[in-house]
Amino acid sequence: MEVRKFSIPEIIFGRGSLEYVGLCARRLGAEKVFLISDPGLQKAGWVDAVTNILDREKLRWVYYGEVESNPRDYQVEKGATLYRQHGADVVIALGGGSPMDAAKGVALVASNGGRIHDYEGANRIQRPLPPMVFVPSTAGSGSDITQFAIITDVERRVKMSIISRTLVPNISIIDPLLLKTKTRTLIIAAAIDALCHGIESYVSTIASPFTELQSLKSIELIVKHLEAAVESRGLEHLEQLSTASTAAAMAFSNAGLGAEHAIAHSLGGMYDILHGMVHPVLLPHVMRFNCSVCPEKMADIGELLIGGRRRSRRLTALAGIEKLENFCQSMDVPTQMRDLVGDRSKLPEICQMAVNDACLLTNPRPATWEDLLQICEDAW
Amino acid sequence: MKPKPTLEDLVGIEYAKLGFFREVQEKIAELSASNLELAKNQRHVQGILEGITDVMVVLSANLVITSVNKAFHAVFQESLPEGKHCYEVFRGLHEPCSMCPAKTALKTNAVCRQSSICAVDGKNHHFDTTASPLRNSRGEPCHILLLKRDVTMEKEYQAKYYMAERMATLGVLAAGVAHEINNPLTAISGFAEGLKRRIPRLEKQVETDLAEDFKEYVGIILKECRRCQEIVQSLLAFGRQTCSDYSSVDMNSLVHDTLKLLRNHLKQYPPELITLDLDNSLPPVLGNASQLSQVILNLLFNALDAVQAKGTICIRTFVDKETVMLAVEDTGSGIPSENLDKLFEPFFTTKPAGKGIGIGLATCYNIVHGHGGEIVVCSQEGEGSIFRVKLPRGGNQ
Repeated sequence: MEVRKFSIPEIIFGRGSLEYVGLCARRLGAEKVFLISDPGLQKAGWVDAVTNILDREKLRWVYYGEVESNPRDYQVEKGATLYRQHGADVVIALGGGSPMDAAKGVALVASNGGRIHDYEGANRIQRPLPPMVFVPSTAGSGSDITQFAIITDVERRVKMSIISRTLVPNISIIDPLLLKTKTRTLIIAAAIDALCHGIESYVSTIASPFTELQSLKSIELIVKHLEAAVESRGLEHLEQLSTASTAAAMAFSNAGLGAEHAIAHSLGGMYDILHGMVHPVLLPHVMRFNCSVCPEKMADIGELLIGGRRRSRRLTALAGIEKLENFCQSMDVPTQMRDLVGDRSKLPEICQMAVNDACLLTNPRPATWEDLLQICEDAW
Repeated sequence: MKPKPTLEDLVGIEYAKLGFFREVQEKIAELSASNLELAKNQRHVQGILEGITDVMVVLSANLVITSVNKAFHAVFQESLPEGKHCYEVFRGLHEPCSMCPAKTALKTNAVCRQSSICAVDGKNHHFDTTASPLRNSRGEPCHILLLKRDVTMEKEYQAKYYMAERMATLGVLAAGVAHEINNPLTAISGFAEGLKRRIPRLEKQVETDLAEDFKEYVGIILKECRRCQEIVQSLLAFGRQTCSDYSSVDMNSLVHDTLKLLRNHLKQYPPELITLDLDNSLPPVLGNASQLSQVILNLLFNALDAVQAKGTICIRTFVDKETVMLAVEDTGSGIPSENLDKLFEPFFTTKPAGKGIGIGLATCYNIVHGHGGEIVVCSQEGEGSIFRVKLPRGGNQ
């Protein structure tokens, strides 16, 4: 095996672990916290919950909530300006992938200067970031664990990937109680995103035993608990989704993703679609595309999805993909490309963009933009 | 175009999460370097401060001493002045002095200078004090830098210089006046002599009482003329440039000779009035014997006036380091302190009109200074006076 690396933040996990957010910030040297979240969480009362904890900890704070789904470059830069103006020292992000990625961007621009675009690509960060404490509110994006930040370049209509170990937060506080207020759609979108993370990282060319373990565990837990979690909203199921999402994030932060995420990023940059909603459309097709080069691993996944084996690994793998398709359809979410992109003629452009995405690097089967276009066409 | 990320980038073995440790280390290195630099600068500044020979004291706004330099310890006894009030240390007072330059400097935020006399070890020192406000970052005065320069010596020299200058001016003036008076005086005196010689011839032609009157008046004119001539002579002596011929003079013999001159005059006083305490091993001085005799005479006359036959006078000679000393001590009336400063000024006199024109001590001063010496007086009113003449010993010249 080649030399690999596995890095994750400190993780505080469990019901009510949100309570430690102030203490964590203080331990990291906070005097004035920069809290970043979004209007949805503010409405749900979680922002107030955090600020109350900070007040109790006698920490001053400044709140920034102008973050949308698929966070924009200007939102990051505005946040960075605010951070500097207020002389904040520790960044706390509360939310799904959007506020968390935006928070990484804010921390990056505030400490390293320049524009967020300067850091697009891998390992371009030269100076330390302020300490980051992330509280994920969805069991999906995994941004609280990973070394990635995805920020939309509004002008180019591109999702920029910023990759650096320095973007790994210091502390991730995972409190399943936060999932209680999520909408059905958000729970599904996040869980399918996490499932996708698990599957793509498992077949990644740089997967290692440390990531594979996490990948398989995440797939297993999502298959087992997603339906029940959506139906019953039972905390025991939501908690399992949190575990799954975190495990998937641990895997993909270190093993990378694949073609599916490459296309998804491209789509998200151009059409501002909720990231989690892309996966039910694309994932089965990308799995079919990859199946030939990694039948064993696809069979492992298939076995988890169908809860058993077919006659051959290939059949097990295909049965798993089929099961996944049915599963997605049953979730009552869009499953065809036409539902997301109105104009079929845009597909080549999307794929030409996607072929440059860093996620494609670790796809088990090398793919040209035409290969990606074929996947999209299949999904139409 | 930025290079596209590679697989190695994703694995990122060479890239760890950047922490602040390195930054802190760099900062520490930077700080310790600047700390060294600061310490060097501080030593440099300290060296400059210690090099200043004036007493330097830093005061807080409430006049408490916060630091002093080395020169302070050289002048003042106080070993731990820090934390004490300046007025305690400098003056032994319990409240600020009425004319406080530090307070003025604080109030006006400007440099304040003051000249003052204060006692150090029981001896009066003359200080020129400069109080400069030390300002904080807002430009407000927060401390006072007090510089005290001991100008006692300078003040003494300055006083001596003024005295010498005045003496020289007045000497020239007096000599000029004396010359001018001398000519008509000679004429008056000459013609009065002529008249006197002609009186016998006149006596035969006029009444006896008229002739007697003439004889008496001419006698008075001649007597007063002689008095005037004496005054003129003393004025001339006072104004004379003392570049006369110097020879080796034994001060002890000079004292004896001078007393012999006065033998007649002294008969009216008790014999034990004047005692002598002469140092037999006294080295000779280089000087003009008649001028130095004049000095002894003048001092002796003054002493006789002071004791009025009721006290004693002692004439002393001795060697003090490189100088030959002559002291005339009396137990007379003493000199009021307000007169001490003016004593050697020409035409200053306390004697009744007609008994002196105030030129005796001024002449002494000129003579002694002409010899490269010094004349000083110590006096306590009602207890007596000591006049000391310091003359450089002859061997050294």
